[in-house]
Amino acid sequence: MYDTIVIGAGLSGMLAAIGRAERGEKVLVLAKGHGATHWSTGCIDLLADVDDPLAGIAQLAIQHPHHPYALAGPAMIEQGIARVRAIGEAAGYPFAGSFNRNLLLPTALGALRPTAFAPATMIAGDARQLRDGRPTLIAGFAELRDFFPPLIAANLRAQGIAAEAAQLTLPPTQRQHDFSPVTLARLCEQPAFRANLGEQLAAYVRKGGYARIGLPAILGLKHATEVVRDLQNRAGALIFEIPTLPVSVAGMRLYQILEDELLRLGGRIQLGGFVQRAERISDTLVAVFSEAAAREQRHTARRWVLATGGILGGGVRATPDGHLHETALDLPLQTPDGRAGWFAPRFLNAHGHPVFQTGVRVDQRLRPLDAAGQLVYENVQIVGGALAGYDPIREGNLEGAAIATGWAAGQA
Amino acid sequence: MQTLSTDVLVIGGGATGTGCALDLAMRGIRCILVEKGDLTHGTTGRYHGLLHSGGRYVTKDPQSATECAHENAILRRIMPHCIEQTSGFFVITPWDDESYGDVFVANCHRTGVPVQEISVAEMLRREPALNPRISRVFEVHDGSADSFLATHSVALAAREYGAEIRTYHNVVDLVRVGDRVVGAIVEDLRSGERIRIDCTYVLNAAGAWAGKIAALAGVTVTVVPGKGTMVAMNHRMVNTVVNRCKLPSDGDIIVPIHTVAVIGTTDVHVPDPDVFGIEPEEIQFMLDEGEKLIPGFRQYRALRAWAGVRPLYKDKDVASDRDIPRTFKLLDHEERDGVSGILSIVGGKWTTYRLMAEQTVNELARRLGNTQPCRTASEVLPVPRFEHRAHAMVTVSTDPAAQTPHYWLGKPLALVESEHAAGDLICECELVTRDRIVAAIDAGAHNLDDIRRDVRMGMGPCQGGWCIYRTANLLYERRCADGLSHTHANEAILHFLQERWKGLTPVLWGDQLRQARLDELIYAGVLGIHRLRALAEPGGGLVTQHPAIATEYVQA
Repeated sequence: MYDTIVIGAGLSGMLAAIGRAERGEKVLVLAKGHGATHWSTGCIDLLADVDDPLAGIAQLAIQHPHHPYALAGPAMIEQGIARVRAIGEAAGYPFAGSFNRNLLLPTALGALRPTAFAPATMIAGDARQLRDGRPTLIAGFAELRDFFPPLIAANLRAQGIAAEAAQLTLPPTQRQHDFSPVTLARLCEQPAFRANLGEQLAAYVRKGGYARIGLPAILGLKHATEVVRDLQNRAGALIFEIPTLPVSVAGMRLYQILEDELLRLGGRIQLGGFVQRAERISDTLVAVFSEAAAREQRHTARRWVLATGGILGGGVRATPDGHLHETALDLPLQTPDGRAGWFAPRFLNAHGHPVFQTGVRVDQRLRPLDAAGQLVYENVQIVGGALAGYDPIREGNLEGAAIATGWAAGQA
Repeated sequence: MQTLSTDVLVIGGGATGTGCALDLAMRGIRCILVEKGDLTHGTTGRYHGLLHSGGRYVTKDPQSATECAHENAILRRIMPHCIEQTSGFFVITPWDDESYGDVFVANCHRTGVPVQEISVAEMLRREPALNPRISRVFEVHDGSADSFLATHSVALAAREYGAEIRTYHNVVDLVRVGDRVVGAIVEDLRSGERIRIDCTYVLNAAGAWAGKIAALAGVTVTVVPGKGTMVAMNHRMVNTVVNRCKLPSDGDIIVPIHTVAVIGTTDVHVPDPDVFGIEPEEIQFMLDEGEKLIPGFRQYRALRAWAGVRPLYKDKDVASDRDIPRTFKLLDHEERDGVSGILSIVGGKWTTYRLMAEQTVNELARRLGNTQPCRTASEVLPVPRFEHRAHAMVTVSTDPAAQTPHYWLGKPLALVESEHAAGDLICECELVTRDRIVAAIDAGAHNLDDIRRDVRMGMGPCQGGWCIYRTANLLYERRCADGLSHTHANEAILHFLQERWKGLTPVLWGDQLRQARLDELIYAGVLGIHRLRALAEPGGGLVTQHPAIATEYVQA
């Protein structure tokens, strides 16, 4: 019997688990697989399209009192993020940024994306620095299919940044073909590979006088900060990483530091356990059953955190006939009225698609409510993407809302 | 205004128009083909890909059945690289009239459609996913055909014979002198320039749009745009074409083609071939019908839905659109309407495109005093360069199926493996390598959708999640020296994402809904493409936004 079982291994679940484990509880993270962290940028987005994220969040909480940020409260937002930053710091993978001013970091298309905190490996890419007039080089490898310097540089130039593009020659390796971001990240941790890379970058800097170099976010998996520092020294220019398409190496690093921290605190993680049903006594959840290795496994705990995500994470699923259901505990969901209201006609319309705000409605303590507003379970808390009434991708708070609600559940 | 001159101006770059251009060129008749979109942009690129055995028409439309059976054998010979020899079943399910089986066989014999009854046990051995409650099974020579590739092959041959093919050229007017049509004014949609094309004959091969073209000459052609909706499923749950053995109706056929199985179709009259929607009920109905053929059909992942408009020619009052004969008709507007210099070829279906072209060009040749015979039934078509490597023989396998000149499902993978090209896959779902994408770009793609039609990029489960980004970048890198700027590349991505979205929304549930959200994370989250909207504009030789080629899906 665990004190707390967290279902789901994304950011919100990991933060909740770390919080409970810190209090000396016996904690299990039970998940189908890794969460959406592996798909995202590895940055911590708090709120996009505002100058001051924290002020924007305060405004949002007033306008939408059921928004996850409103439920978590400003203290949990700040403490949760402070905790992640402390974990990063201790792991040698620090995050830089501010609660009160968004960074603007180049994407792999050359758009400038607002985010509050970014790993130190990305920070030199902030547009305010790039606009100082000194030349920036965007460089990649032809072998990497997820990063194309010329279009990035052209789009940056159109936004007032003196960027140029270059294709590097892949340093000699044992491997002949198929260079994914993860493969390259591992190669970057080999000194010889890095030395060759550094020489090429130094040659570009000598020729073009570049002050900064943007590279795909493949600069190491476990020792990224060192890799970047070493390359900077060799190249004689500041280096910043740009997130690539999934699988995101920077996302993997963020997950990894949290996993290491949870294990250090004595928590356990069981992946491959797809929770499919619940056992209850009155309004208490006593056990869940996961599908694992040709049998059902029964897990018991005193309290529970549901962190399975929304439609993206797989915690909410739709049937062909237009019914949405919560996959683990079959909790009631707050959904748009009817399938006709699920989507907007334009894919990239400013407000996103209503179906993706589907989630579980909760009380002030993040406990699940039914349509009538009655408590469904007194010992279950819902965190992250599984919560109703927000669109983390479009609002630009994917990591912030997950961390805030996850941390809140870990403290209550 | 630039003026061109030719013998025959063919309007329409679908199977029929392109087939006519080839036939004309082979006989030494000068011709120019204009198409307002890409080749196959209209109905040819939006059908389920069935190479008809003729079985579907043996009862209601015997002439079509005979034509199909005849053309089926010819197409297998002249375009093996476009055809998969799947074979086909007509099956009687518990929902069908048992007595139709004998009628079906008798009508097959009468119309010359080869047919053979096989046992249900044999059927289940070959296709274990089919409903075991099926009572009778008749095997016919159905196949599946890549209509994009076929049309490109025909166009390539036509060009080699001297035809001029101009895509993204929209006919804005026909020039009439008295009662004679003497040419057309066309707009190049890439540049906005207008060109006058003088000709001896205009051949209206605009399919569902033939009525609109005829109207420019002041004549009435009643084409009933019959909308057919189809759904592509992410599995080939069958490797044989499966038809319900009954009179043709909605949702009664499953066609395995490339990596997917397509269920079709509906038949809904629409007033305008450019304005139609996909109704949720149509999708639900087809899933229900799919369940009857393959129990558990609903549980498979639906990839996308789309609709095409059949170019049904309405000669006289017929009860329903499905009762309009599927055969074709060549309209001589001089005899019919007193307007000379223009012919319209209407109706028909993909499988009979070559025959339609032959008969049409016979008539044009006679009028032009050309006595060359038709040779399209015997000359094997060339393979476009963007397909070339995939078409090469795979010698790594000893399986005789691997050595056939016909398309087979495992061929693209076998090639990727033999070339160790896994690291060079731009579209991983459909196994499209960088070389093939670049070849499609060099062949003159006018937007990402053209490349999709050429090499199937973006047609797999992720619906472009990774490959849109990659392909747009390759397009930019390849063509930036020719005036394609970052703003055009940005616009190309935005345009393609929206085009895909139209086909996705009707089938978004389960994993495909999750996929759509992941694609949103990639494009709106990780890449922030919407932040580049101010840096996106049409141009650079790409055609993205233009009213002439915009299909307005009305939201159901």
